[in-house]
Amino acid sequence: MPAWYDCRRMLAVDAKDLTKTFRSGWFGRRRKEALRGASLQVPSGTIFGLLGPNGAGKTTLLSILATLLLPDSGSATILGHDVVREAGAIRRRLNMASGNGSFVWSLRPGEVLSFYGGLYGLSGRRLRMKVDQLIEQCELGPYAKTEYNALSTGLKQRLAMAKALLNDPEVLFLDEPTLGLDPDVSIRLRAQIALLRRERGTTIILTTHYMREAEELCDEIAFIKAGRILAQGTADELKRQIRIGDVISLRLDPAAPRGLGDLPGILQLQARGEHIDCTVDAVDKRLPEILRWLYEQGVLVRDCQVHEPELEEVFVELAR
Amino acid sequence: MSSPADLVLRERVPETWFVEVVRTWAFARRNVIMARRNVFFVFELAFWPGVAMLSHGLLTRFLALDAKMTAFILIGTVALSTVQVCQLDVAYAVLFDIWSKSMKHQFLTPIGIRHMAVGSWLVGVARGVTVFALMAVIGSWAFGFDFVGGGPGSLALFLLGCCLCSLIIGLFVCSLVLLFGTRAETSAWAAVNFTVMFSGIYYPVSVLPGWAQVVAAGIPLTYFLDACRQGYGFEAQFTHAWLKGFALTGLYVVLAHWALASAITRSRGTGLLLKLSE
Repeated sequence: MPAWYDCRRMLAVDAKDLTKTFRSGWFGRRRKEALRGASLQVPSGTIFGLLGPNGAGKTTLLSILATLLLPDSGSATILGHDVVREAGAIRRRLNMASGNGSFVWSLRPGEVLSFYGGLYGLSGRRLRMKVDQLIEQCELGPYAKTEYNALSTGLKQRLAMAKALLNDPEVLFLDEPTLGLDPDVSIRLRAQIALLRRERGTTIILTTHYMREAEELCDEIAFIKAGRILAQGTADELKRQIRIGDVISLRLDPAAPRGLGDLPGILQLQARGEHIDCTVDAVDKRLPEILRWLYEQGVLVRDCQVHEPELEEVFVELAR
Repeated sequence: MSSPADLVLRERVPETWFVEVVRTWAFARRNVIMARRNVFFVFELAFWPGVAMLSHGLLTRFLALDAKMTAFILIGTVALSTVQVCQLDVAYAVLFDIWSKSMKHQFLTPIGIRHMAVGSWLVGVARGVTVFALMAVIGSWAFGFDFVGGGPGSLALFLLGCCLCSLIIGLFVCSLVLLFGTRAETSAWAAVNFTVMFSGIYYPVSVLPGWAQVVAAGIPLTYFLDACRQGYGFEAQFTHAWLKGFALTGLYVVLAHWALASAITRSRGTGLLLKLSE
């Protein structure tokens, strides 16, 4: 995490109570509430993860923030601009790439980039330099003559990423950027995302179903479910917030004495012979207390291991 | 307090008239590339107009029409093909993105309707003029039809009128597609035929029923066809046909722009803009 992270909490994204209902069928009778008062604050220059099960409202929220969708109520600003009233100003400074993105079938990578570069107002030598730089950066050079439809999934996603960097965005939305990619391509893409934040100070908001990716990349994570943000914080904060707890696995001699479960901070106890798993609220505080108590009871601790919960467990718990 | 992103120097393109040209040119260039790479463009440009000119020309032979009546029919044939091809290019500004499910990328950029409409329309004008030239050559060679018979000024105004009508139809097609999604795709081909039916394409509007004549009077192409045919010695159906035609065109361009702007706002509200990208 960069040094300036805590001292400069200027918000790149500030969304308050966003709601969105999609209507379909005759006279819009069928309704689907996609967002039900979602609020989100994203500090400038951070990588922010938006996690949640399918249909939770991640893409809807990103689309509203990207000015592609109008909210029914609530407000949102990107870099201080209102997403409804000042969409034009936002679009100059924002971009988006998605894992299932697509471009016009007959265009080659350079032509796709030139087209969108032109829409951002780039022209002449400046456009050519930008396109060449992105083609090289995203390793698309050998496929310069290949039409979009003939590119592999990985190459299409690299092109989507290149397109998203055309206007040197201050805020970048990545909607499942590594979806369906080979592990090596995913690793390179994650490195590129981290580099963008480090070198350009870009605020990146990404949705992903890969918890390791979120844990590796994101400074902060929000968990969305049924159109509401249920929790927001760093991965460690989230783990603490939902109180899954850390697990201390002990091998005791003799087996677990009575009274261990009555100690403060122990959430759950599971004994299997001489092995015992204690789920505790905070391992730093509880481990010394447990060891001291066991010593006082005359119990010998033959082995002790600590397991911190994975973000995946947090996800499962919150999605329940 | 500055944000971390502010510490990085970002070179932004200033909003000038040149940037307006660049954005417009981007759409034009895309249409040109697509026209070069896709075989259906060849059919649009050469096959269908060629078939239309030959079949209608042969029909005039079969009916033993004189040169004046042949001109009446073939002017309609040319108008239909020119407007059809030119308006398709305007519609392609949206249709390419719908077919490739890439609609959202376009609307993520700071563009306006003017850029997509004018950029695509310019290519449409080039293709429309090409279609006209091809049909003029076939008509002249096979049926002895003189396309400049009404005078070069009249011909230029007629072509300009046809191209402006294409812009209007193309913008309305884009609006329909953004309102109703892929279900409205066929309007790209149907809209022209519907319009020309009322505008007296192969017949004077006086043969239409009364209510249809009222509709015809609201279509600019009606006036352009009438004015062009006057140059071949036909009696005028409307006074000041050129003036009325271009005045109506100006009104419809404004209306079509408003309709498309409203359709975009509505599709941002309903989520159709996103659905067209999935």
